[in-house]
Amino acid sequence: MTPPPASAVADSMTSFRRPRDSQANIDIMAVTKGVQWPYLLALGIAILGVIQFFATVAYQTYWGFGVAGYQAPVFWGLYIVTFVFWIGIGHAGTLISAILFLFRAKWRNAVNRGAEALTVFAVITAALFPVLHLGRLWKLYFLVPYPNQRALWVNFKSPLLWDVFAINTYMLTSIVFFYVGLIPDIAMARDRATGIKKLAYTVLAVGWQGTGTQWKAHSRTVLHLSGLATPLVLSVHSVVSWDFAMSLVPGWHATIFAPYFVAGAVFGGFAMVINVLIPVRRIFGLERYITNYHFENMSRFILLTSTICGYAYGMEYFIAWYSGVEAERTSFWLRAFGPYWFSTWCMITFNVIFPQLLWFKKLRTNLPFLFVLCFFINIGMWFERYVIIITSLSRDYITGAWGLYIVSPVELSILVGSFCWFGMWFLLFLKAFPVIAISEIKELIIHGKEHGGAH
Amino acid sequence: MPTLVSIFDLPSDVAKTVRKLKARGFDDLTTYSPAQFTEIEEAEDPKPSPVRIFTLIGGLSGVTLGFWFQIWASLEWPIKIAGKNFAAIPPFWIVGFELTILFGGFATLFGMLIVGGLYPKRLDKHYSQRFSAEEFGVVVNCEERDVAEIEALLREHSAKEVNLVAK
Repeated sequence: MTPPPASAVADSMTSFRRPRDSQANIDIMAVTKGVQWPYLLALGIAILGVIQFFATVAYQTYWGFGVAGYQAPVFWGLYIVTFVFWIGIGHAGTLISAILFLFRAKWRNAVNRGAEALTVFAVITAALFPVLHLGRLWKLYFLVPYPNQRALWVNFKSPLLWDVFAINTYMLTSIVFFYVGLIPDIAMARDRATGIKKLAYTVLAVGWQGTGTQWKAHSRTVLHLSGLATPLVLSVHSVVSWDFAMSLVPGWHATIFAPYFVAGAVFGGFAMVINVLIPVRRIFGLERYITNYHFENMSRFILLTSTICGYAYGMEYFIAWYSGVEAERTSFWLRAFGPYWFSTWCMITFNVIFPQLLWFKKLRTNLPFLFVLCFFINIGMWFERYVIIITSLSRDYITGAWGLYIVSPVELSILVGSFCWFGMWFLLFLKAFPVIAISEIKELIIHGKEHGGAH
Repeated sequence: MPTLVSIFDLPSDVAKTVRKLKARGFDDLTTYSPAQFTEIEEAEDPKPSPVRIFTLIGGLSGVTLGFWFQIWASLEWPIKIAGKNFAAIPPFWIVGFELTILFGGFATLFGMLIVGGLYPKRLDKHYSQRFSAEEFGVVVNCEERDVAEIEALLREHSAKEVNLVAK
């Protein structure tokens, strides 16, 4: 080939014939385009729920915390129950993204993006609850160590402060992880977008072009973030569990709490991922990418963690009996047969008994069954936190101080609002970014091409 | 200076081409890839990514700051809590650990942005949206006398298109 004269030198790419786009790009980006009526309906409901949520917060802030119905002896009510529930939901994303990445489990590629998004939005939802639980929202800054005239610092020996650091670290690290994974896909979206969307994608893609240097830095970053996030995800729910376990309240003061909480979080998190991805897959026609194989693998995790939860439930009862401590024995007896028996039996039935059906492959790959099962698991996991917190606080050491906790309408409104808040962010995410990690899917497709469809 | 822009379908072909080009001394090249392929990264630059240095420095800064701040704050306003030392190390591990992860994570992110040259900017002249579909690009800047040899080498390694343009 002879070097051309200067006049013949054209723009490099204009001379190339326009290629067909990747099918993965077309299929997965189709989710972000147009507005389907089920989507619009769901978003409308979510936004209405968020409006009523903030209206309730305003009402509670104006009238005071009493409207939430908190009174002796239960001052940690539905807000803390729901806080722990949402933190737990936020665990599956990091587990799928970080831990399964380190184990080179390639099946995660189809579900990791959706799960990471769920993590970020679940943790953002959870972070609302300690603030609501303060009652006086404007005192929020008391939670963080800040220089003040009294030179009085926060108590670094308190598990509540550990929680502040753990939750914020988890939230920020999850956002970083989520964003880093998104960059190549945002760049792909940038190349195909127009107008304001192109501008937004251009800024967020930070000049990504997929050069060798960029991919190398990116893959090393994902590896390091996975290495950092793995102990983090295990630590976060451990720290949350120590909010309870570091106290002397019967039913809380147990060394098993950290692994018990972590297993429960992964269990509930996977159930939520399945509950969200089944409709997303169906509505947006992503059956080619999110297959029964993925749901079956997630079901196996659910079965494993359900068994761990069952062991933890049983061990709690055994230790309460074996310890010989009267308050512990009474606390656990009343969990099962006291005024809150309903929540305890919901917890055991939904979290331990029902998931045992997943031993059957036919059920693990039956999506309507999985959807219903995971729905009940989410209810069961919420009740697990209700059992731990409410039954223990309402039946403390002094029988004269026992009381009955009744959920108030304000708390219920906040609970429903939190689901709407979470749902709203996820629905907006669906229209802004690809719900499946396209570059990771393309890695599998191209490997498949290279090895004659072996992948 | 002429530039050769070539298009490939498979990452193994890209990796082989890059290795060959480098072995012939044509180092001024850039690859574009729609996904992460270790073989291309290793062919282009076998050295480990410096991002790890950022992670290490971030993590060490976090753990140091975490412990130092807690110890300093506890001693600055000493309050006896639960019979523990003012500067009790075991409970300080929690915040120390969390700050290790936090600082390490953010330092890794900044490391990626710096090492990968990632900031909002005009894209390379030879970048194409084909590289964010399923095709690969190898762009080689060379002397005029080397054009024929490089083109032959690219085609020999299954380049499906080779275009000659100016830099």
